[in-house]
Amino acid sequence: MSENRTIDSELLDALMVPARQADYPRDSRAFVRIDTSLRVYWHVLFDICPELLELSGPDGLSIFRPFMAWADARQLSMNWTFYIWVYQWLLESEFREQVTRELAQSLTAASAARWANGDRSTNGGIVLGCTDFPELIAGWKCHTANGGREIECLELEDPLPMPKGRFGYFTVPKFELDNFPGWSEIPR
Amino acid sequence: MQIGLNFTLGNTLDLVQRLIREGEVDYCELLIDNFLHVPPHELAGAFDCPIGFHIMFSKFLESDPEYLESMAARLRTYIDVLKPMYVSDHVARFNHNGRQLYHLAELDYRSEYDAVRQRVERWQEKLGQRLYLENYPSIMDSGCDAPGFFERITQETGGGMFFDASNAVCAHHNCGLALDAWETLIDSTPHFHVGSYNYSILEPKVVLDTHDGELSSDTLAFLERYKERFDKPGATMTYERDVNIEYDAIVADLRKLRAIFGDAKAVSHV
Repeated sequence: MSENRTIDSELLDALMVPARQADYPRDSRAFVRIDTSLRVYWHVLFDICPELLELSGPDGLSIFRPFMAWADARQLSMNWTFYIWVYQWLLESEFREQVTRELAQSLTAASAARWANGDRSTNGGIVLGCTDFPELIAGWKCHTANGGREIECLELEDPLPMPKGRFGYFTVPKFELDNFPGWSEIPR
Repeated sequence: MQIGLNFTLGNTLDLVQRLIREGEVDYCELLIDNFLHVPPHELAGAFDCPIGFHIMFSKFLESDPEYLESMAARLRTYIDVLKPMYVSDHVARFNHNGRQLYHLAELDYRSEYDAVRQRVERWQEKLGQRLYLENYPSIMDSGCDAPGFFERITQETGGGMFFDASNAVCAHHNCGLALDAWETLIDSTPHFHVGSYNYSILEPKVVLDTHDGELSSDTLAFLERYKERFDKPGATMTYERDVNIEYDAIVADLRKLRAIFGDAKAVSHV
């Protein structure tokens, strides 16, 4: 076996940083492997929130590339909070005047859905609050054999206090919102 | 050879139940950690067939012990009720420096072996079951180390190989790993996966494990050529389809698998 080889673990730093793709020859398998990884982030963002393409144009790159660089600089975890951090970046970007309440809610709901799909804790739900709109966004995990995750926009009769930061979240043990334990800060 | 289908999303339950009812599958493989909030007896009642378990997000090679302890306890409840034919998990990297990889990465089988072996032993012990470990659809040259890695780790931990035939075909195309490099591992296990692949957008084309369409002719040829190694008492072949979930298309592929492994149902046409 030839030792002139490139293994996947050598590419890890580049797999979520578009600028690093250029470190590899364009005609290399490594370049394509990195591209495959980046495309997944692209699709996770724009397939779920296609309205972002109305801001950026159809290739999404004027959002995607700078956001991914910004996320890398901050070492964001890219976990369920991914869309919330996209919203935060938009508010600091050239697109800030075009960010609507509907877009904010859409990105928040996307984060709730990502939590409901991927979280493996014993909690059944997550509730997100944002100072930019009065409703709460709740995400509930699949809990029936023929069901899926559910996202709700909630307006409570007795509204909760607003989070201290722009966003806050709390988790719910089962599938009923019957307690408010206080807001937690959105993690990186 | 028993032919099965993966069940990953509740909204496909009707389709899966129809496949079971109509005899197109012999069992169902549950992506079990997608359903850890469904009461175990409700989940058992939804499937009138034997069950296999495939774990997605234990991330057992990276997760902290408390998380794994909790997840194992929950999984054991489902194992006790559903009595799966096998419990399998992924051997891959989910995170790098605390950041999530949306396209899982392949391990460095050489430098990471000792740490991975410890993790396999602990996870297998927590689950209380023989743990079947799935091969990765290699893109880079790390793939060439995979057969030796799996031979060693299954021998040393008592775990099993969960051999994904189409992942091996991907590795063959991408890093030149000969399919016969897997012979000993195919012989060693009764549990298999197969699914479709597709090509990267960019050139030079790489082959990606996509589960989005028809089984390729070279995957089917691989199964045909080695069918006597694959087929053995208790053998299971799970057809993975995660995108474009259409009944007739799935049945067409299931019947191709049955035709290879000599089941009479394959003779009738969809």
